[in-house]
Amino acid sequence: MYTAGIDVGSMTTKVVLLKDNDWQSIIVPTGVSPRQAGREAFDRLLSGTGLKRNDIDYIVGTGYGRVSLDFIDKSITEITCHARGAHHLVEGTDMVIDIGGQDSKVIITNGKGKVVEFAMNDKCAAGTGRFLQVMATALGADVSELEELSKDAEPVDISNMCTVFAESEVVSLLAQGVSRERIIAGIHRSVARRVAAMAGRLGTGRLITFTGGVARNGGVVNFLARELKTKIITTPESQLAGALGAALLAKR
Amino acid sequence: MNELKGLARAAQIYLDPQQRARELKAEGKKIAGYLCCYPPVEIMTALGYVPIRILGDMNEPITEADAYLPTVMCAFYRSILDVAMKGRYDFLDAFIGAHACDGAERVSYIWRSYLKSPCSFYLDVPHSNHAAAIDFFKVQLNYLKDELEKTSGCNFSQEALREAVKLYNKQRSLVRSLYKLNRQDPPLVSGSEMLQVMVSIMCIPAEEGNSLLEEVIEEVSNRSAGPGQKKGRILIWGSLIDNIAMTKLIEDCGLNIVIDDTAIGTRSFWVDVDETSDPFEGLAVRYLDKIVCPRTFRDTKGTRSEDLDNRFKYLKIMAKEWNVNGVYFNIIRNCDIHGYEIPEVRDYFEDIGIPVLVIEQDYSTTALEPLRTRFQAFAENIG
Repeated sequence: MYTAGIDVGSMTTKVVLLKDNDWQSIIVPTGVSPRQAGREAFDRLLSGTGLKRNDIDYIVGTGYGRVSLDFIDKSITEITCHARGAHHLVEGTDMVIDIGGQDSKVIITNGKGKVVEFAMNDKCAAGTGRFLQVMATALGADVSELEELSKDAEPVDISNMCTVFAESEVVSLLAQGVSRERIIAGIHRSVARRVAAMAGRLGTGRLITFTGGVARNGGVVNFLARELKTKIITTPESQLAGALGAALLAKR
Repeated sequence: MNELKGLARAAQIYLDPQQRARELKAEGKKIAGYLCCYPPVEIMTALGYVPIRILGDMNEPITEADAYLPTVMCAFYRSILDVAMKGRYDFLDAFIGAHACDGAERVSYIWRSYLKSPCSFYLDVPHSNHAAAIDFFKVQLNYLKDELEKTSGCNFSQEALREAVKLYNKQRSLVRSLYKLNRQDPPLVSGSEMLQVMVSIMCIPAEEGNSLLEEVIEEVSNRSAGPGQKKGRILIWGSLIDNIAMTKLIEDCGLNIVIDDTAIGTRSFWVDVDETSDPFEGLAVRYLDKIVCPRTFRDTKGTRSEDLDNRFKYLKIMAKEWNVNGVYFNIIRNCDIHGYEIPEVRDYFEDIGIPVLVIEQDYSTTALEPLRTRFQAFAENIG
């Protein structure tokens, strides 16, 4: 049985194709048309396998763009999908922290991939990938370089939570001669603090798995671990947790 | 005469809740608008006023009120002042504010200064249910009676007040009967239909409201197709919802709203007024002590878990009798009263094993869509 999970996020679209326990994946930028991105990513992944759409038994869509997909069998929220996917990546996960392009979530699960409670920030760019992106632009860097650029730097305090004000703050820090490395470290800590506060309201997990695109940034991972005073687990597949969860839920 | 009946009539009233009051005004009746659950409608009715609940409007962007109220205040009361400033309540003969919460208090001051209803009364509602507070409240209710008597042209009579108590107790009993139809699965009345009925009966004379309730009960008891069975049955706890855009969103996401503890819902109707020999005694006890809203402090009792049980047992009973599998905390942004109570009520429900979804919403229909994912995720996981 083949199933697929398509996670159309605000920045990237992820597709996972699952057969038994084997899975393949693809990540493409979402661009301006979530519908087109979902369709193209799915077709591209299929074309490498020789499979046709009809060979896929069940397709689940998730992510903010899920409603625009017209060829899926079912749509399931990214909250349910990340919980399921994280459990598959790190068995026994009981707290999922998902930081994506435009929102962040903390999900408490029962340790078997089912959601018990969740909190979500989707109104404000602070504590999301968008915040990192805006700051990277202000600092003349690409978001993928942030981790490397800030390695071992002592973080400067970024006092503004608001992305717009924080951007002005970054500009004035640069004017004061603070190093780019320290500013980036400060930005990572700012994202971590914001999300840690949200996690704190739900209690702490014993096994915390960090998913979503921002999990690729080791700087944020480290500060999150420091803020929550515990270990945070990420895997190379963390960004795919939503699509993987969708593909796993499609099996039922 | 209006030919619509039952739910169709409620849907019509809901679209323009003040229309009936304006008609009655044109016929020479006096209309009293009041804030919150606390001003006794019996006193207004006994003195010849038609009481109507003052509502905000989630569809109307707040543009005028910000000059008078800070944006850190509850969006519902800011909206009330906004629509009032724009003239929606200009027809009122009496305005009855109440010290229900700080938001209601501020609006009451500003209303008196700027909106100048012919009669403007501020009901001082104490913040505890101690015996001394109830005595104090009884005096305040007498002041309300005196003020309304001066402006209504009616003479007060104990008999008329006793009759009004009976009339509204009948309404409360009808409301409870209607909610009871939602104990079954699937429920007979959708949350949106229920809200339309609640808004309607708060904005028309009690006799008309009682007829409407009787029609609705008969209609839904015999219906073959109600809201249907969804993924979960929920209780809504919180200040209030007064727009069906909110209930429709929740229902679209796969949740049956079967019961609530909110002010445009059971909280205003759940408990009767005792028919005491001095009617003000029964009114003071019912409104101050028996309405359970977090704005009133109740003595802590025993251990923490005994204390929570003392304060929230009624919610456990509702959850059990209406067989709910989740609770949605509807928090209007900057509602201190309910916002501060979240951790305690959440603990209480978690102890009895019922999942909770907390959303702080902006009291604006344009801000609803981002909430969809949360309700969907809740529906996916509580079944």
